[in-house]
Amino acid sequence: MAMVDTGGLRLHVQRIGPRDGRAATATAVLVHGLLTDSLASYYFTVAPAFAAAGLDVVMYDLRGHGRSERPSDGYTLDHNIDDLRALLDRLAVTGPVHLVGNSYGGTIAFGFAARHPERVASVSLIESEPATAAWASKLGGILDRVVAQLAHNEPEALAWITANRGHNTARLARGAARLARDTTLGQDIPASGVLTNDQIAAMRRPVLGVYGGDSDLAELAPWLGSLLPDCRTVVIPGHEHSVLVEAAGTVGGHILALIQGTSAARSVGAEAR
Amino acid sequence: MKATPHPADATPRPADADLVLADIAGLLARLLEDEYGLDDVEIGMATTFNRDLELESIDLVTLSGLLEERYGGRVNFAEFLAGMEFDEIIGLTVGQLVAYVVTSLKAAEAS
Repeated sequence: MAMVDTGGLRLHVQRIGPRDGRAATATAVLVHGLLTDSLASYYFTVAPAFAAAGLDVVMYDLRGHGRSERPSDGYTLDHNIDDLRALLDRLAVTGPVHLVGNSYGGTIAFGFAARHPERVASVSLIESEPATAAWASKLGGILDRVVAQLAHNEPEALAWITANRGHNTARLARGAARLARDTTLGQDIPASGVLTNDQIAAMRRPVLGVYGGDSDLAELAPWLGSLLPDCRTVVIPGHEHSVLVEAAGTVGGHILALIQGTSAARSVGAEAR
Repeated sequence: MKATPHPADATPRPADADLVLADIAGLLARLLEDEYGLDDVEIGMATTFNRDLELESIDLVTLSGLLEERYGGRVNFAEFLAGMEFDEIIGLTVGQLVAYVVTSLKAAEAS
């Protein structure tokens, strides 16, 4: 396990590249989502195909998540953006990178690109959106429910989740409850600085938005497409918020097409076989 | 490979699966001890990673690193799992991983 000290905070990083000794053509940095997520959502899905396609692939666990250090506070979006910048500095990744973000990870990726455009080549958002006032308010509601139901009423909540969603989801929820209870994440995220529509529209990097057709977030696709100067959106029918894990081949194909500057997406990995 | 002695009548490689199982059980024991402080978990071919060992997906990333340490580039656990559906990963057994490692090692030997 590779732990990288970004200056007072130790982050768990996994980095893979082309296995045949070729030099990587570009660097992709994959950012995971909140609470139950970790870099594993990429490691076992799109990352191997990205590396095989010639990319240098950097994955890391956000603070408090996976195997990264869990400070008791410092969980605003700005903290996450600063962590990403510190990590890239520490890894000596100075050239423009292709950012990929799942759910909250995409919000971090977009925020990083808005603040450091010179360090970003493209942004792929999976089931995600830029940080707006509406986003902060929605996340606040979700986190309030997590804290109220999971962190402070854990046995009952976990029994319900086990019965209705299965053992695996319940185990992930237990980890989420721990994070919500032990840190200020629940208060910090909704208090994050957000972007105005004008600031979002000022994005000059190519943006891809991928959504599950049955997800509430799919309705963001037309809004994002109309606001951004260079944006392509894809809605994948039959999937909800976990479209990255469930339809990894399709999602990965669209992202690779953006990174490689081609127009046609080819499925990668599992579904291509 | 650190091979334990086998009966003289053994054909060159019939015990591959047993050896690999012993290897992997050792790696898993190390992981369970390091991450969860467990030191008495029984591991056999039918043991599931998710239900029996209670491993989370991030633990499988750690296991992937341990497998690479042990076998080098001959075994690519991430690619193995990336070829599976989510439900298959949830039901994955130690025996399936052993079979994959044995196949990968044989393929590497043959090439």
